[in-house]
Amino acid sequence: MKKENKVLGFLRDNTVPIMFIVICAVCIPISGFSASYLMNEIVTRMGRNIFLILALLIPIMSGMGLNFGMTLGAMAGEIALIFVSDWQIWGIPGVVLAMILSIPISIVLGAFCGKILNMAKGREMITSYIISFFMNGIYQLIVLYMMGSIIPIRHFSVKLPRGYGIRNTVSLLNMRQCLDNLLAVRVAGVKIPVLTFLIIALLCLFIVWFRRTKLGQDMRAVGQDMNVARDAGINVERTRIISIVMSTVLAGFGMVIYLQNMGNIATYSSHSQIGMFCIAALLVGGASVDRASIGNVFLGVVLFHTMFIVAPKAGAQITGDSMIGEYFRVFVSYAVITLALVMYETKKRKHKSLMAQQLQQEQKEASAS
Amino acid sequence: MNETLDKTNLTLRDRLRGFVDSFGLPRLIIAAFLLMLYIAAPFVGAGFWMQISNTVNRFSWNAIMVLAMVPMIHSGCGLNFGLPLGIISGLLGATLSIELGFTGPTSFLMAILIATPFAVVLGMGYGWLLNKIKGGEMMIATYVGFSSVSFMCMMWLLLPYHSPTMVWGYAGKGLRTTISLEGFYDKVLASFLQINIGGLSIPTGTLLFFALLAFGMWAFLHTKTGTAMTAVGSNPTFAKAAGVNVDRMRMLSVVLSTWLAAIGILVYEQGFGFIQLYMAPFYMALPAVSAILIGGASVNKASIANVIIGTFLFQGIVTMTPTVMNNMIHMDMSEVIRVVASQGMILYALTRKTEATK
Amino acid sequence: MKNARRLFFRIGAVLVLVAVAACMMVIGRGHTVYIDNKTLEYEGETYKAYYRAVVYVDGKKVSTLAARERGMATNIGQSFTMTVGIVEEKGRDEVPHEITIKLPYNMDGVIINIPGYMAGLPQEAWMTEFVSAPSEAEMQEEAPTEEEDILAGAEF
Repeated sequence: MKKENKVLGFLRDNTVPIMFIVICAVCIPISGFSASYLMNEIVTRMGRNIFLILALLIPIMSGMGLNFGMTLGAMAGEIALIFVSDWQIWGIPGVVLAMILSIPISIVLGAFCGKILNMAKGREMITSYIISFFMNGIYQLIVLYMMGSIIPIRHFSVKLPRGYGIRNTVSLLNMRQCLDNLLAVRVAGVKIPVLTFLIIALLCLFIVWFRRTKLGQDMRAVGQDMNVARDAGINVERTRIISIVMSTVLAGFGMVIYLQNMGNIATYSSHSQIGMFCIAALLVGGASVDRASIGNVFLGVVLFHTMFIVAPKAGAQITGDSMIGEYFRVFVSYAVITLALVMYETKKRKHKSLMAQQLQQEQKEASAS
Repeated sequence: MNETLDKTNLTLRDRLRGFVDSFGLPRLIIAAFLLMLYIAAPFVGAGFWMQISNTVNRFSWNAIMVLAMVPMIHSGCGLNFGLPLGIISGLLGATLSIELGFTGPTSFLMAILIATPFAVVLGMGYGWLLNKIKGGEMMIATYVGFSSVSFMCMMWLLLPYHSPTMVWGYAGKGLRTTISLEGFYDKVLASFLQINIGGLSIPTGTLLFFALLAFGMWAFLHTKTGTAMTAVGSNPTFAKAAGVNVDRMRMLSVVLSTWLAAIGILVYEQGFGFIQLYMAPFYMALPAVSAILIGGASVNKASIANVIIGTFLFQGIVTMTPTVMNNMIHMDMSEVIRVVASQGMILYALTRKTEATK
Repeated sequence: MKNARRLFFRIGAVLVLVAVAACMMVIGRGHTVYIDNKTLEYEGETYKAYYRAVVYVDGKKVSTLAARERGMATNIGQSFTMTVGIVEEKGRDEVPHEITIKLPYNMDGVIINIPGYMAGLPQEAWMTEFVSAPSEAEMQEEAPTEEEDILAGAEF
């Protein structure tokens, strides 16, 4: 009896990953991809995306939910890369320079985002979501109208022929996969970008260490209960802003890593969906709005990307139309986020009513005695 | 004499400040910006009457979708970011009406009739979900909208539609991304009693249709059920104590909102002349949300006047900025201005402390 | 005291980052080097193109140039080293020469004329800037339209 309960509980707590394992298990044989192809793709995508997804962990720790505002960091990374390719800085130095350049931009954007989220406590997620749209407008204003006219941009491969604005795609051919290829190892036909994984490991270690620092503890306290934290003498507003700034800076780095792998910037669309996909991947790994671990990130990337690779082909095999699979994977991404949000909110409500009942019970007992 | 002048000056300033506070700075900036556009329009050679007709036309297309925001704001469910769900019901009505062979004005009527049960059923499911997650409505609404749109993307391809006006010619199946409404209900409302004076053309029928629905909404909000709904929004505990079934009221408001969105998209289509499927409804909630906020609504307060003012201001900016900006500075910055203005307005509304959820 | 120390560390961190960035800007500057095996006329003298010139960079063969041909190599940093195997006339052996050139920072594309360099002429004689003409398609490109491709991000 008890054992059965345990199994059920495990199933309930891990609905999303189990669902994904089933989807992948069904789709992989249908798609007909070879194992080595799949492995190659997944390893590449792990290197490309894990850093970005890890950027989401810190705001979750401080109770601010899924940071849809990580798009801001992605924009900062893109702006930095635009400058770097305008100045024709190539290779690893280019990547390092872009990361450094993205820091001040990320800090400004992150502080702005954090300030606004402090004004909208209790609905951080929808607000950060709208901030990402709002900033997209500002980003366009800067990149499409101010770069080249006010902000000096001179290289013809970056600038639009009309004299101002940045081209739709900016080629990063000269730094394409330079991180991934340095120290790359081939194991049974699978290229492993060791350096990129080393950087990711470093970030993981940083996050583990950071959780134990004073600031990390403060963040967790703020995430547990803002009022209690404030009573304990923690500057709640400042802590929250720092957590968003850190997330934004990391997202900026992540975007640089992501784009050096892709080899070009889609100036006006690269960042628009990145937040959504990263969040979906994290949730697929079994994370929830208030709890996420590094393990969730890794599992999520593997499962989500397996689905992403095989779905179009499997869809085409079943229905004869490749678009079905494309739509299917977009649908699944959204559905996973919806499901996770619903589960989180119902849990929060249940918890609330439980607390209220407890309070009532205590009051009753107090008045009885 | 001097003293009284001073006094009035002071009160005037105070009143001005009070006015700015109550009206909201962003709203004021947007209204002033639109006013400036109208003043500038004749100087830069953009026909004034044409601009007015454009604005009025676009107002008539969009107003009902903005009106759909009202019931959910009243019942405390917040801004309906899940508008695409209602839009999908409308699209189902539209495509099924054509598929079943209706043409002309009948097809519009049938589209509304067919869309209604879809809107009610989907709205009930959506309302049930929102009742389970009170307090987190807006984020979940957004994602319900997104999931439903991407789900329907698959369905538009898979559902067995056959009408040759709608499916891809070469494959014989799968709906097209845009479907022309010529011969169906293109401009059925707009051409009814249409007024044309010189460059000015007013789609009277569409405006009347909107007026009818807006009046209906106004009247509904003043019935017993309507006031109960408002009570649920402004003070749920009190409403519960007064014997109002909170969940039922919220459900009703969601169904109403979804149905209005379905009608809204049909009216939009008849003005626009095309049905847009697939990803088109994806971001349609955002303009409607920002329109009602620009009109003076907040996350938990909205009136019919907000709808009318807001839609007019928003559509005014949408129609005016491209022409005026292009003529003035030879840069088409309208897209940027629209995004910044509308999203900024939503952000402003979300960050108002007085309106934060408790 | 604690605040002063924190400030000190912060300023230090910023300075380090700025220094690294500046360093990256110098060592990361990319250049495209075009190597010409063409006859050069300079101050009335003619320096004839070689029968063949084979260009090696980092021990790898980049191109084999017959007379009047141009080869291309990319280089990160301002110091460019290549080995040119020169065959002056048909039938002769290839004679390797190691060439190290300082590339000017502000030139994206640099043309190096080998006969001119080998003759020991001054730099302005054998080094010219390569100004690439944008292709027709590049000149045509317009600003993005309002149509936002929602599926564009699907490449993830």
